[in-house]
Amino acid sequence: MTSIEAAVSKSERPDRGRSGALRAYLLIAPSVIWMALFLVLPLAMIIYVSFWTQSTFKIEPKLTLDSWQTFFGSDTYINSLWTTIRIWLIVLISTFVLGYPTALFVGLFVRNKTLQTALLVLCVIPFWTSFLIRVIAWRPMLGKEGAINIILMKLGIVHQPIEALLFTELSVVIGMTQIYVVFMVGPIAFMLGRIDPNIIEAARDLGAGFWRILRKIIFPLSLPGVVVGAMFVSVMVLGEFATSAALSGRKVNLLGNIVVTQVGSLKWALASVVGVILTAIMGLVIAGLLRIVDLKKEL
Amino acid sequence: MESRILKPVLAVYVGLFLLFLYGPFIVLGILSFQQGPEGGPQFPITEWSVFWYRDIFGLTPPSRVAPLPIGVSLFRSLALAGMTMIASTVLGVMAAQAFRKNFPGKTVGFYLIVLGMIVPGILVGLGTGLVATTTGIERHWWSTAFATHVVYTLPFAFLVMLAIFNRFDASVEEAAWSLGVSPITTFRKVTFPLIFPGVLSAMLFAFTLSYDEFSRTLLSSGREQTLPLAIYSTFSVEIHPNVFAFGVLTTLFSFSLLAVYAVLMTLSVRRAKRMAIQEAIG
Repeated sequence: MTSIEAAVSKSERPDRGRSGALRAYLLIAPSVIWMALFLVLPLAMIIYVSFWTQSTFKIEPKLTLDSWQTFFGSDTYINSLWTTIRIWLIVLISTFVLGYPTALFVGLFVRNKTLQTALLVLCVIPFWTSFLIRVIAWRPMLGKEGAINIILMKLGIVHQPIEALLFTELSVVIGMTQIYVVFMVGPIAFMLGRIDPNIIEAARDLGAGFWRILRKIIFPLSLPGVVVGAMFVSVMVLGEFATSAALSGRKVNLLGNIVVTQVGSLKWALASVVGVILTAIMGLVIAGLLRIVDLKKEL
Repeated sequence: MESRILKPVLAVYVGLFLLFLYGPFIVLGILSFQQGPEGGPQFPITEWSVFWYRDIFGLTPPSRVAPLPIGVSLFRSLALAGMTMIASTVLGVMAAQAFRKNFPGKTVGFYLIVLGMIVPGILVGLGTGLVATTTGIERHWWSTAFATHVVYTLPFAFLVMLAIFNRFDASVEEAAWSLGVSPITTFRKVTFPLIFPGVLSAMLFAFTLSYDEFSRTLLSSGREQTLPLAIYSTFSVEIHPNVFAFGVLTTLFSFSLLAVYAVLMTLSVRRAKRMAIQEAIG
């Protein structure tokens, strides 16, 4: 607390103008310095080190393209690049498909504010469980003797337990969808909640059916929410490695997994190459999503 | 009308959706009461017992199942979360206070701070690890990992405080100044009590995010593991129901944290109301 007061007292004078700006700079300086030192510098370092020379156990600042060539010359790494993009796309679509109807109900059909909040809180509560516990909770669900197989066999839907449920790409997709779908529901429900009911009423009076209203009015108005949700999900899924490590039995190797294993064997230069590629993909995805809607205007 | 059919259909769907969100956790909760130490992490429950809960507290005789490495890592995680909470709340309140006025470079500052919550943890961890190795700084949970945690939680604290200041009526501060109250006293007696609910939310955000943070910590902390790292290290070997029992306990802990927050929030809102009433009467 004392630092705030010190900063406030140091600069706050009744006269405004230039001293007002100085006061603002003093207040924001610690945050800016922290971010520059511990965020911007490390990110710049990733780019720089990706061009360093890697020997068995150490890296030297002799610039080379070796690590880049290693990455693009290896099927394993190229495959993990495609796996990352594939899983990202699948999870993005599945969170949208599963999340939109929920958001539609919460944001548009429930007009009671208390019930609306209660439903959103229900969606958020799982986040109070540790992320890793939420990941591992899928193992007893999906395993050969897991809950889903037991239920399916009891119901007589299948006679043999489905083994493809766990330690496959499917289990990674299911796990990620469950963990990240809420980030899709929230922003969409928020945008839907702002739609003026009179617009829908008017469209209905003019004879438009529900699907037409959904396509022509509701969806376009909720698009900024979809874009924000897609940005959340994309950034988180692209940087993932824990879910794929815990639920795929090391069969699914995302770029994030490569970073972790390379650092584990002290191959910092190659890990940095993967880091730069990951950053580039994310930049492209976010830039692409921002082209869909002008968020500054919409929000 | 169509919506008369659609609404119940959607309601049923939302029910199923919630089951999808909660299902794994319900199963995990049930299996945490598996019999031990022979009972595995799957159905059927051979016998209901609290063996694995006792196992977590070291109350069971040694068996082939290695105990979860909790004790000291739990302390580290709590200490780290506390440090992170204080640092990011102080920085966040200061930065948001700055943003109440216009100044050149405001937009750049905003994006720089918010960048911290957008960049994936694995990249921040990797970068911090690189800076540490190349400069020869040793990595520790209380130094390098602490720095990355604040990078992550500061934007949340900042945005919460920004929202609070947006609805803040600056005329009460100006009234205090015009009465000759010093800026420090004004902040302490007028501004701070008014923004306190926001400060509380910022603290809650920072604490819980840091307590559960994994991807940033993995590459930025040294050999001494925090709690999420300790849990993660058990995944690579065979898992046992003690992980499930631990999951139930840490969830209960999170809820008690939430309860403390709710109580403090209600108290501060009630106090604000009482003060307003007193003013109206007096």
